[in-house]
Amino acid sequence: MLFSLAACAIYTLAYYFDWSLFRYYLGTGTFGLSAPASAGAPILWYGWLATAVLGGAVVAGITPRSWTTRLSPELAWLIPAVAMLAAFMYELRWFL
Amino acid sequence: MMTALLILHGLLAVALLGAVTHQALAASAPRNEPRTRSFFTRFRKTDAGAYGTPVAILFVLVMIAGAILYPRYRLVVRPLLQTLDLRAANGAFELKEHFSALGLLLLPAYWSCWKQPLEPAYDGARLWLTWIIALTVWWNFVVGQLLVSIKGLGV
Repeated sequence: MLFSLAACAIYTLAYYFDWSLFRYYLGTGTFGLSAPASAGAPILWYGWLATAVLGGAVVAGITPRSWTTRLSPELAWLIPAVAMLAAFMYELRWFL
Repeated sequence: MMTALLILHGLLAVALLGAVTHQALAASAPRNEPRTRSFFTRFRKTDAGAYGTPVAILFVLVMIAGAILYPRYRLVVRPLLQTLDLRAANGAFELKEHFSALGLLLLPAYWSCWKQPLEPAYDGARLWLTWIIALTVWWNFVVGQLLVSIKGLGV
């Protein structure tokens, strides 16, 4: 449960602040941290997802179990719902 | 190869859409809803708990196919949308990207909520998480179909 909540929050921060663990370069078809301009446009989405998975796993791993049992079950859907709304607000620029 | 994968992606998405819609409506049904012969009532009378694992597996499979197809979308479809100045279609796909990622990250919470025996404390979370996943799947499906309609199958 905690993994999902933390990962959703971290994913939102990752695309907002561009915390991409790695990039995929369309020109060369390779993954990497940086590449020459000839490598083409980068795809950040895989890296954002990896950042979220890694961050979520770390948060879930280091948080004591006694803390997680105190979390309200309602957070399980509230945090993802807020993350979805944040994504909608962030991409609203395409529709205006 | 990519066209075959796109068709597989679509077919898996249809199965996911059916399963999660069934589950969301069944989970929303009142426990003591009287049995009637209406299609809608019988549609909701299914065992919502049986769909947890299949929905999670189908979601992951659809995501894997989508993730493989994504670079082709960026190389072939997105430039076309930009050339035609179809900003809303472009934005709809950006949202599909985020919703897919958030849906995938939500799956462990969703799956643990549907784990048997069902915890009564998670009744609300179970229902809302299922609806969030269902709405995500519906958005992604409709946007995917829309983009295939714009570009065609020749990716």
